[in-house]
Amino acid sequence: MTNDQTTLAGKVLCFAGFLKGRGFKVFQSSVHDALRCLEEISLEKKEDFFLSLRSNLATTDLEWVQFRELFDQFWARVNEEKILDKDELESERERQMENLDEEFLPDDHSDLSTAPDNSDKKDWLEGVVYSPVSMVEKKNLGRFDRGDVQVAQLALKKMMDPFKIDISRRSKRGRKSGNIDFPRVIRKSLKTGGIPLELFYRQKKKRLKRLVIIADVSGSMDRYARFVMPFLLGLRGIGSRAEVFVFSTSLTPITFMVRHLDVEKALKRIAMEVPDWSGGTRIGYSLHQFNQGHGERLLNRRTVVILLSDGWDLGGKDLLMREMVFLSRRAYSVIWLNPLAGDPDYEPLCRGMKSALPYIDYFLPADSLQSLKRVGRLLSRIMIH
Amino acid sequence: MSSHFESIDQVVNELADSSYIADRALATVLFLAHRLEKPIFLEGEPGVGKTEVGIVIARLFDTELIRLQCYEGLDSSTALYEWNYPKQLLHIRLEEQGKRERNKIEEIIYSPEFLIKRPLLEAILRSEEKAPVLLIDEIDRSDEEFEAFLLEVLSDFQITIPEIGTIKAKKKPIVVVTSNRTRDVHDALKRRCLYHWIEYPSFEKEYKIITVRLPGIESRFAKQVTRFMQKVRSVDFLKKPGISETLDWTRALMTMQRDYLDEDVVIETLGCIFKYQEDIKRFKEEIWADQETRAEYLGIDAPVK
Repeated sequence: MTNDQTTLAGKVLCFAGFLKGRGFKVFQSSVHDALRCLEEISLEKKEDFFLSLRSNLATTDLEWVQFRELFDQFWARVNEEKILDKDELESERERQMENLDEEFLPDDHSDLSTAPDNSDKKDWLEGVVYSPVSMVEKKNLGRFDRGDVQVAQLALKKMMDPFKIDISRRSKRGRKSGNIDFPRVIRKSLKTGGIPLELFYRQKKKRLKRLVIIADVSGSMDRYARFVMPFLLGLRGIGSRAEVFVFSTSLTPITFMVRHLDVEKALKRIAMEVPDWSGGTRIGYSLHQFNQGHGERLLNRRTVVILLSDGWDLGGKDLLMREMVFLSRRAYSVIWLNPLAGDPDYEPLCRGMKSALPYIDYFLPADSLQSLKRVGRLLSRIMIH
Repeated sequence: MSSHFESIDQVVNELADSSYIADRALATVLFLAHRLEKPIFLEGEPGVGKTEVGIVIARLFDTELIRLQCYEGLDSSTALYEWNYPKQLLHIRLEEQGKRERNKIEEIIYSPEFLIKRPLLEAILRSEEKAPVLLIDEIDRSDEEFEAFLLEVLSDFQITIPEIGTIKAKKKPIVVVTSNRTRDVHDALKRRCLYHWIEYPSFEKEYKIITVRLPGIESRFAKQVTRFMQKVRSVDFLKKPGISETLDWTRALMTMQRDYLDEDVVIETLGCIFKYQEDIKRFKEEIWADQETRAEYLGIDAPVK
């Protein structure tokens, strides 16, 4: 019996590693607790076993929905393992390797160095053979297939953590106005026998700048926007307060929608409602609409504007330039995220990009999860008052 | 009712007895939380019955429910304890008449008598005989400073008040933390909890909930309402109605002496189901405009005009 127990524990550990490889956040203490849970329940029912593991090892709704599939996948393989012919396993691994090659031929040693050429049969258990997260991180967002999307969503979530930007309603000591700081008044009044001669106040701490996101969702940019926007909105403290606009030929505000739906759904909804969706791009005109309609309200020295576009503009060149000048004058800073800029050979040749470039404070690529990381870091620096 | 869970099946049964319809997953989490003394972290769309879980657990264990509603700016003085400053000031003035020494006065005004107990301190103090249920509602509304502070309290259930000393809970309260996911809660907090995601109920579950919570209802009517709500949830509204909307709506309909749904009554009572003007508009234009879909939503046995 004890022997059985230890192997089960071992398998649960492997399972935790397997989940980690798929972007789950697995904590040592959770694994420990999962094992403790298994002692409490009777292991006869597979469902209970599954439920106990899930309540310990999943920590978000995204993980929650993926859990069953991964659970089945893993434990099916554990059970098969004894029966599985070695040849079959080999062929399966080869198949996997081929897939990898297709996707990663150009650059990679680091990822494949852990790949299992002659590694032994149990390797997949440890989750080193195929760790989707590390690969997805470098992959161009535009080339994601459906399998990657799930992994990437989890990875994105993980990435947002370090970029903490707090808005705070906490107060600090203030001199003149604000709420009376009772603890301090009392403390000081003891000196004068309980008569509060001096009053002390607390003031609200400073807040964040305002973020305005204007994203290009025309045909070529659609896929990027789907990734970059959830990322921007997910940054702590920023997302809930950001104003979001999308455009292809004309501008649509979606702030209200993204506050209530996730971005994916919001974009789908707009795509249905806006007639000329995924048509051409008219950046200049869309910016003009923004500046005219919302500039007064949204742009001031506490506004950070993020433009997300590849810079292909069908509209007139002068218009774009004029609007960029206006924008850069009014806003605190303008960030342009361009997915094409990730290419080392990229030069802003196209008309639109060229004329806009002088009025941009930060020009950054946004083509992979890695480059998004950099964007996050930049934002957490400049967003604070 | 026993205060001790022996098996998951027992939890399922007892939950059913106290009229909370839960699936096995939730029962498992409750069972494990009880056995391992870990907090439960509940997430889910608004209106799926997260808060209700805390209330039901309190009923199961026959103990008190202490609720802490979180909001932005919540801090230790509103969650934990605060000195009653006005009372302290008054007392100091009164003491001035007598000839007491200064540090004597200090000792008096910093005694428990001048302490305002907030929910967390209450939960710890109440744990003398029977561990209470501590419901920390909508943690995502509080800010991160508070989360960090909560960690400290949840890990060993002791509170240090500098002027008095350390107060430790005799028995660990059962803690239920809920979140509407308006922002991510920090990992450190999640790690200490058992996670459970409450989904929108299935047809069977929702039907059961309606019949259990509203005992007077006819089963045909309950089925019709359930079918309608399940259909509504399949559409991407800004705010999908939760189970609480279902109950509200059904209760409203019953108050109106209705025992079946028809086209007019649905339109009249839309406000019970949808909470946004946009959703109401969309429902009227996209779904209710079409004769066939209307019939589909109302169910086959509804009278078609």
